[in-house]
Amino acid sequence: MFGKGIFKGLKITIGHLFEKKVTQQYPEERPVLPARFKGSFDLNVAKCIACGLCSNACPNHVIKIESVKDENNKKKLTGYKMLAEQCLYCGFCVEVCPTKALQWNHDYERAKFFRDEVNLDLYAKYTPSPDDDKKDIPEKNVKPEEKQDESAKAS
Amino acid sequence: MLKTQELTLNMGPQHPSTHGVFRCVLKLEGEYIRECVNHTGYLHRGLEKLAEARTYSQFIPYNGRLDYVSGMLNELSYVQTVEKLMGITEEIPERAQYLRIILGELQRLASHAIYVGTFALDMAGFTPFMYAFRDRDRMLDLIEAASGQRLMPNYMRIGGVAADLDEEWFKELEILMNDMPACIDEYDGILTGNEIMRARTIGVAPVSAEMALSYGFTGPNLRASGFDYDLRRDEPYGIYDRFKFDVPVRKDGDTYDRYCIRVAEMRESVKIIKQAMKDIPEGPIMAKVPKVIKPPVGEAFHRIENSKGHLGFHIVSDGSTKPYRTRIYSPCFVNLGFLPTTAKGLHLMDLVVALASIDIVLGEVDR
Repeated sequence: MFGKGIFKGLKITIGHLFEKKVTQQYPEERPVLPARFKGSFDLNVAKCIACGLCSNACPNHVIKIESVKDENNKKKLTGYKMLAEQCLYCGFCVEVCPTKALQWNHDYERAKFFRDEVNLDLYAKYTPSPDDDKKDIPEKNVKPEEKQDESAKAS
Repeated sequence: MLKTQELTLNMGPQHPSTHGVFRCVLKLEGEYIRECVNHTGYLHRGLEKLAEARTYSQFIPYNGRLDYVSGMLNELSYVQTVEKLMGITEEIPERAQYLRIILGELQRLASHAIYVGTFALDMAGFTPFMYAFRDRDRMLDLIEAASGQRLMPNYMRIGGVAADLDEEWFKELEILMNDMPACIDEYDGILTGNEIMRARTIGVAPVSAEMALSYGFTGPNLRASGFDYDLRRDEPYGIYDRFKFDVPVRKDGDTYDRYCIRVAEMRESVKIIKQAMKDIPEGPIMAKVPKVIKPPVGEAFHRIENSKGHLGFHIVSDGSTKPYRTRIYSPCFVNLGFLPTTAKGLHLMDLVVALASIDIVLGEVDR
């Protein structure tokens, strides 16, 4: 019978009419994000050892690191800039970080009015917390094994 | 006597039914096409050249920018080519192989869901588009939970995959896979039998098997023309030889057949994922590969059955950390070649359907 297919289709759509809505009312209703969601970056400056692995792993030369050597010949971070407008958000920098200082956060509303505001200055953004000194000591003991794990993953 | 005049019409690059930034210049006689000339290159980013300036693993995230609705499959193709070049194809852990299959097939489902939706949309059917995108969103949520991003997953790695997936993720996947057959039935019910859709598609822009072969058609478009060839079955890569699935084939090769074959393939993908979910073993997800990848001097070509056709990579190595040359064989670009021949004599409205039916993504056409 001609029109049978159309009626079959209409039956399906009418069935959906009385269903619960699937649309998410975005600005009022916030999405539930998975743990691995790639939003923006956070850098724990106290954990960072300024090794430069993140800037080497980056496909697009997004990360600019500045560091100085102190009296013990240990590198200390003095600047960490990310040209986020060129960033691919691939996450190689986070994967390769041996001390897990660089992490993803769930900040996804990144639209800005001016181009310069897009870029991130993670060194200036960081607010020191009282836990910084505590974490510093066990970190050194854990480092060598973690580095191996990371290198296997990152390749 | 009425005076007639040939009309030159510019379709695209900003046209919703050209699926991106494709432009074709049409010479019309009334509403019928006399000549059609393809113009591509509006989305050219020089990805092949970019690959030469990146190390082997640094190029993985760029594969998502090729065909931006099937990122996982592009990555799989690239990663397997580099593995072939390095000679470590046999060393990939079992669990990683299964995860690759599951996520690849999930991406194929998502890509075909877009196809079904936009194919209906190009014939002014808006409801199937919404249904297809509703289901695609659930697949993308799973891909996002696995990799962190929805379209540019960057999940595959040379030697395995980036991250393991937990029980919770597999539970979600199982729910989706149990729902999928009903969802595909819905597309079928609303579109396949619809008289308007049948009138618009049956017999439009037919491609015979000989023509499909001579134009280099691959993938679903080739199978729609009656040529039974699927790389997953005929030249199995990865662990595809362990799964039982049918390869749907049609015979007429018109736009209707090309649509039907996608719907049938979605059902097969669900079957493959269900088998893989049952068999997946525990274990490592990365093979032991050096941190700095330096493949031996030589070259490798590898192709996989992408959602659009055969996606191939040809990589030439000079023994350094960066490839000497990377060539991307794009199925969309090859499939698009049929348009100038087929368009001759078509109605203007049928051209839109013909273009939608071969499933092009301009990110891959222009590279």
